Amino acid sequence: MRRTTGRRLTSAALTTVVAVVGTACSSGSGSSSAKGADSGTYTIWDPYPQFAKGSAWAKLLDGCGTKAGVKVKRTAFDTSDLSNKALLAAQQDNSADVLIVDNPVVSTLAEAGVLTTTEENKLDTSKVDPNLLAAGQSGGKTYGTPVGANTLALYYNKKVLKEAGVDIASVEDWPSLTAALAKVKGAGKKGITFSAIGTEEGSFQFLPWFWGSGAELTELDSAQAESALSLWKDWLTQGYAPNSVINNTQTTSWQEFASGDYAFAENGTWQLANAEKAGFDYGVLPIPASGGGNAASPTGGEFVTIPVQGDTGRYAVSQKLATCLTSTQNLYDTDNTLSYVAPTGEVQDKQVAANAALRPWVDAVKSAKGRTSDDLGTKYPKISEQMWKAVQAALSGAQSPKDALAKAQSAAQ
Amino acid sequence: MNHTTQLSDRRSAHGGNGAATAVPPPAAARAGRRPASQQWAAWGFLAPVTLYLALFYAYPLYRNIDLSLRNYTVRSFVQGDAPFTGPQNYLTVFDDPTFAPALFHTVVFTAVCLVAQYTLGLVLAVFFNQHFRLSATLRALFLVPWLLPLIVSASTWSWMLNSDSGVVNALLGAVGIGPVNWLTSPSWSLTSVIIANIWIGVPFNLVVLYSGLQSIPASLYEAAALDGANAWQRFWRITFPLLRPVSAITLLLGLVYTLKVFDIIWIMTKGGPADSSTTFATWSYQLGFGNLLPAFGPGAAVGNLLVVAALVFGLIYVKVQRKQALS
Amino acid sequence: MNRSASRSWWKTAAGLLLTAIMLFPVYWMLNVSFTRDQDMRKSPPDLFPVNGTLDGYRKVLDEQLPYLGTSLVIGLGTVLLTVALSAPAGYALAKLRPRGGGVLNFVLLAAQMIPGIIMAMGFYAIYLQLGLLQSVPGLIVADSTLAVPFGVLIFTAFMSGIPGELLQAAKTDGAGALRTFWSIVLPMSRNAVVTVSLFAFLWSWSDFVLASTLAGGGAHEPITLGIYHYIGNNNQEWNAIMATAVVASLPAAVILVLAQRYVAAGVTAGAVKD
Repeated sequence: MRRTTGRRLTSAALTTVVAVVGTACSSGSGSSSAKGADSGTYTIWDPYPQFAKGSAWAKLLDGCGTKAGVKVKRTAFDTSDLSNKALLAAQQDNSADVLIVDNPVVSTLAEAGVLTTTEENKLDTSKVDPNLLAAGQSGGKTYGTPVGANTLALYYNKKVLKEAGVDIASVEDWPSLTAALAKVKGAGKKGITFSAIGTEEGSFQFLPWFWGSGAELTELDSAQAESALSLWKDWLTQGYAPNSVINNTQTTSWQEFASGDYAFAENGTWQLANAEKAGFDYGVLPIPASGGGNAASPTGGEFVTIPVQGDTGRYAVSQKLATCLTSTQNLYDTDNTLSYVAPTGEVQDKQVAANAALRPWVDAVKSAKGRTSDDLGTKYPKISEQMWKAVQAALSGAQSPKDALAKAQSAAQ
Repeated sequence: MNHTTQLSDRRSAHGGNGAATAVPPPAAARAGRRPASQQWAAWGFLAPVTLYLALFYAYPLYRNIDLSLRNYTVRSFVQGDAPFTGPQNYLTVFDDPTFAPALFHTVVFTAVCLVAQYTLGLVLAVFFNQHFRLSATLRALFLVPWLLPLIVSASTWSWMLNSDSGVVNALLGAVGIGPVNWLTSPSWSLTSVIIANIWIGVPFNLVVLYSGLQSIPASLYEAAALDGANAWQRFWRITFPLLRPVSAITLLLGLVYTLKVFDIIWIMTKGGPADSSTTFATWSYQLGFGNLLPAFGPGAAVGNLLVVAALVFGLIYVKVQRKQALS
Repeated sequence: MNRSASRSWWKTAAGLLLTAIMLFPVYWMLNVSFTRDQDMRKSPPDLFPVNGTLDGYRKVLDEQLPYLGTSLVIGLGTVLLTVALSAPAGYALAKLRPRGGGVLNFVLLAAQMIPGIIMAMGFYAIYLQLGLLQSVPGLIVADSTLAVPFGVLIFTAFMSGIPGELLQAAKTDGAGALRTFWSIVLPMSRNAVVTVSLFAFLWSWSDFVLASTLAGGGAHEPITLGIYHYIGNNNQEWNAIMATAVVASLPAAVILVLAQRYVAAGVTAGAVKD
């Protein structure tokens, strides 16, 4: 109700504007709303501004449009911007027909009532690995299908390890990893770099250690959680990790590793292409859990979703577009371009067959866990914010790991 | 309510010193009545901007107030049915443990930046006003930082201040000073963002104050020089007083822009570590847009506190102007 | 003669030194734009791009030039609109003493405090109704909101310095308010016009929030959005980002230098008139 009055007020004011600025604006308006005037035009929003107009990705979208018999209008947004844009557009009833978003955002958008469920939009998700699909599920409903997945692991520099006399096979749990770092430092090189920045990226990077300690997101102040944070804190105190990690994005941390001075770097699947360019021999190791074995790492990657429309007749075509984008061949092409692991077993096998280096990543993705899984849904963002704050407070020395986590737990309630 | 009038008459009485002492100051005579035709003309000139303000600011301002008075969740933001909760969001904000540090940082950040920017800007403006070779070109180059998108300039600063691979620590190391954790230590992060913000703000002050200096008639300086005043006296007796209206507006605008600064801090430190560089502006953004689940209500409430702060300073500005005009 | 020349030489040297200090971060950006990926976080960093690469520039020159054109058009459009709206208002507030002028001043102050992102949200709703999203004129109007309140306040401050006797004299000669404004006040406010124009241009040039909300995905995007081609969701290509900033600031820097020369010229002309 309020919305309509608000709108009427605006449009009343606007009639006046048109008269004033109308002359200046007579050119170049045209079809500017996300839906366009034309019912034969479908809009797709994605978080890949790095793919320009002539790129394979843009061509793929056009091709899927042609197949579905419609014209596709694509808009690329910066990831951090996209969820706000999607909320704003939904508020104004101007949502895109197909929306591709980072997976932890899906539950927020679903909570806002922006997304249709797979029951409504008839997307087929049966082939997708369940642990990946879980990130797009909340309250027993599924809100989309992953376009690809990535996760974190440890890259290591073979030359640095060799000079320090570390056998990578000996690194199997936290104590042996810390011992390896000590040796590397002793040899005059640098230990490990990661990203502990005060954003979601920082939580993403901390989670494998957090989960690897046996801690649960519902209890940030457990003894296990403290041991994970203390591990990082000790690395900083001992000089095994640089102080700059507190402000590092994952790109910055990668650049540090690419300088060739570091033995280890915690980073994602998407760096594989850059690793090939780095000019030194590298290997990839799953992140160890505290007592050995592999820690669960968080899944990254985007979901294809179909936002709610006033005109429900549009879903049929949107579903065709989304299905086309996630068809076997298209997933293969897209995920190779993005340096992601495909979300279905069939395509994963194809990827490994073509590039054996992907094997550890496919394994890591198989054992990875969605951040909003365990039915955390929209509770996750709040927990995550307190978690990255605690990490920052502890690493910068503002608080002890124990106090920082206690504060985080009480704030996340 | 004729603050501007008094400001203007005050100014012309000053400026007229040299050129038109013969004409009696007309302020007192005219202040009493304002001819109706002049009112029509005045509002005729003001009409475009008034209409413009009503069209383009009223709605956002209404939105920001509305956001702060309702309990918005992501769902009600989209559906438009958020319940009215009155001052609840403001109470939440006052109760938040971040409130006190954010207030303190905002005051320190604003005060230090404002004083430093103005002083440096004025010194540079006086310096560049001396018309030496290349002065115009060099002055223009001072504006180059403003051409860079903030994401670039702020990222460059965080690049230079990086604890391990930053050029600042490398240079300090060369003269034997140990590395400083500019951005990652709670005791330095506020200083770092202040330095970067002063760097951004100096050109603004330089350009506005320089233009103000240009409006001071050269004849005044010649007369003063004939009277035997040295450069220092000329500055304090002529430049500084005649620059007062421009100085006042520069400081007021500087204050408003400094209170509002968020991009720089956000890109350099995200307000951290441990809230050590959080100001109201970054806090507002952090609440409203800084995590996956936006809290629009408290975010807008913090934003509105900034609007109120700016208005308070605006009131002080007007009061001071009026007092000076009366004295 | 000799003595004053040598004194001026010292000033030029001091000016160069100050400019060099001020522009060091800009130099650093230039340095990074030439740096190879593996040297980005070298510790200690190279003061010069010893193993320089032109990769960043190759990319930018291939992809970014159309964005530059759009940004120029938007910048100049914003300047025109801002001056056209704020100069008359400044004149009225400074010299015509309108009833309610003080209130307007407050509104202008408050207007500047509205966070950019809220402004953008408001414009989005308005433009959606008007069909102005993703249009260049729409972005010009939106960008002008960054500078109009500033423009009015600056024009008011500067125009209040124009001697009242001059305006009185014009009135005696039978000039109306419009004529007085056009042929006396505006020419005497050249410095203010240039100052406001400079900042209107600079703000619209570097605006990101409005551009991304209102122009994202359109046929014509400004350079600040162009930069986002190098900011992927997991990775940022810093040499290309910095190279874009360098390439983007070159034409604008030329405009700045020319505008500053014009200020100097205008001042001399004014002094002669005195």
